[in-house]
Amino acid sequence: MSETKQVKVDQSPESQDRRKFLGGAIGLINAAIGIAIFGPVLGFVGGPIFQKRKKIWVEVIEEAELEMGAAQEVTYSMQVQDGYRKIMRRYSIFMKRSAGGVTAFDPACPHLGCRVKYQGDKERYFCPCHGGVFDEEGNVVAGPPPEPLKQYATKVEDGMIYIEKEV
Amino acid sequence: MSEQETQKVLTPETSVEAPKTKSKEDRLRQDRPSLGDWLELRLGWWGFVRKNLDEPMPAGVGWWQTLGNLLLTLMVFQFTTGIALAIYYSAGPETAHASVKFINEGVQFWGINWGLAVRGLHVYGSAAIVVATVLHIIRVFYWGSYKKPRELTWVLGVFIFFVILGLSFTGYLLPWDQKAYWATVVGTNMAKDVPVLGTAIQQMLLGGPEVGAATLSRFYALHVMVLPAALIVLMGLHLYLVRKHHIAGPVVPQKGKPKPFYPDQLYKDAWVVLGGVAIIIWLAVVYPPGLEGVADPTGVDFTPKPEWYYLGLYELLKIMPKELKIVGTVVIPGVISLGMILLPWLDRSKSRHPAMRPGIIIAGTFIILMIGFMTMKGVLEGGGGHEESESTEISSPEASV
Repeated sequence: MSETKQVKVDQSPESQDRRKFLGGAIGLINAAIGIAIFGPVLGFVGGPIFQKRKKIWVEVIEEAELEMGAAQEVTYSMQVQDGYRKIMRRYSIFMKRSAGGVTAFDPACPHLGCRVKYQGDKERYFCPCHGGVFDEEGNVVAGPPPEPLKQYATKVEDGMIYIEKEV
Repeated sequence: MSEQETQKVLTPETSVEAPKTKSKEDRLRQDRPSLGDWLELRLGWWGFVRKNLDEPMPAGVGWWQTLGNLLLTLMVFQFTTGIALAIYYSAGPETAHASVKFINEGVQFWGINWGLAVRGLHVYGSAAIVVATVLHIIRVFYWGSYKKPRELTWVLGVFIFFVILGLSFTGYLLPWDQKAYWATVVGTNMAKDVPVLGTAIQQMLLGGPEVGAATLSRFYALHVMVLPAALIVLMGLHLYLVRKHHIAGPVVPQKGKPKPFYPDQLYKDAWVVLGGVAIIIWLAVVYPPGLEGVADPTGVDFTPKPEWYYLGLYELLKIMPKELKIVGTVVIPGVISLGMILLPWLDRSKSRHPAMRPGIIIAGTFIILMIGFMTMKGVLEGGGGHEESESTEISSPEASV
């Protein structure tokens, strides 16, 4: 037994215009409510896209500790803002000291971010993920990496080696 | 019926006059209905159940149509075990690894390692869902069941598949071990290749310049809230459309009348579901999920390798020359994804029979075989983890140096 009753609807042209107008207004109000919900949320969650980056000099290792010649893997710590916490985070880097100065390469393969290994006997860097090969200057010699290893600017002050890093 | 008449039906006097065999309507309107009748009057639940149990199954429908039910059950497993894991898990870089270690070891009594069992069910349940979804997609593809009027059922199914892959990817990071960390480094680096928006997408996922505390929080929120909510909505709509348009039936209509879903089809479903559940329980018991060392960004001795169902893509990236990197990371996955979404409109043939739509069948079969081949290649090649495998070394294009 249905309790629904046929309600007589005012079909006059004025009423139709009014319905159209109110329908439009409801649509606008809903759009505003939608923006009120998603605007702040998207801005908040998308925050990292607009984070400003700056370059700083980071202390890595004393010059005397780095042997002349072959590249060496060096680990260093620096303070970073890791999400909601400020921590001392450890990083590794390949450094090579020669008569011409110090070169420093990031171990992240420019292909997809795996860590490259230095193979001294073959004088090359090798990425085990997808087989990228780089020479001692960081240039791609084989495999899929689209660009050379990332090289950091270095400087030596009071016997300490610094690299310039974007944070 | 007027209000007065309604009252009349419900008065005891009329019920006395009622015939001995009461109709269903009468039972529902009696003074002291049973709890079942009381609920039925308000919810109409039984009608809904009845309708679904009586769903007509065309002749020839059988074992291949059990996959949807298997998936639904596996989803229930994932939600249940996922909630149990969330009760013990703590999503922070200092606590995540330790909390998963506790899940693996900390709750044991009556000779059962309960935490490891639940985590095992969750881990293998996710793999089983990927397998069952792929089989489900393959069945619908060859049966041509995505054709009018079921185009949107298919599209929703494709989106469900993407959400499942998203759940696998985000869940993989949560243990915060080496495997998790490095797979995420590689996975999020791929996003960078998307034209124009790549870096923004990567930053949104990572929550900063590199994988860290913010990434873990984001992946956790995606894994336990955003993607499951999307999955529930998409599955609800998918099932609604499956019931609205009914099962497509065999490509060549079979002789015989349609049979109700209950009991024949549901009996088959029950066996397949039981088999699927038995397999994940067996895997969870025999190969309990391990835990690598805690994530270490300095770890140059760790070779990332993704979960097996991403190995096809991983292998594809190996063979792509540097000039064509974007083809492997974005173009091929993008074209396959778009092709899947648009399949009902790409396949213009009116017939569902595979022989009547050779173009789409050849293209689809080629893609399925290639993904299968590349995945097998990745599985057989081994590698990954702490030791650098010989095969990885050999597969490097050293000859071209």
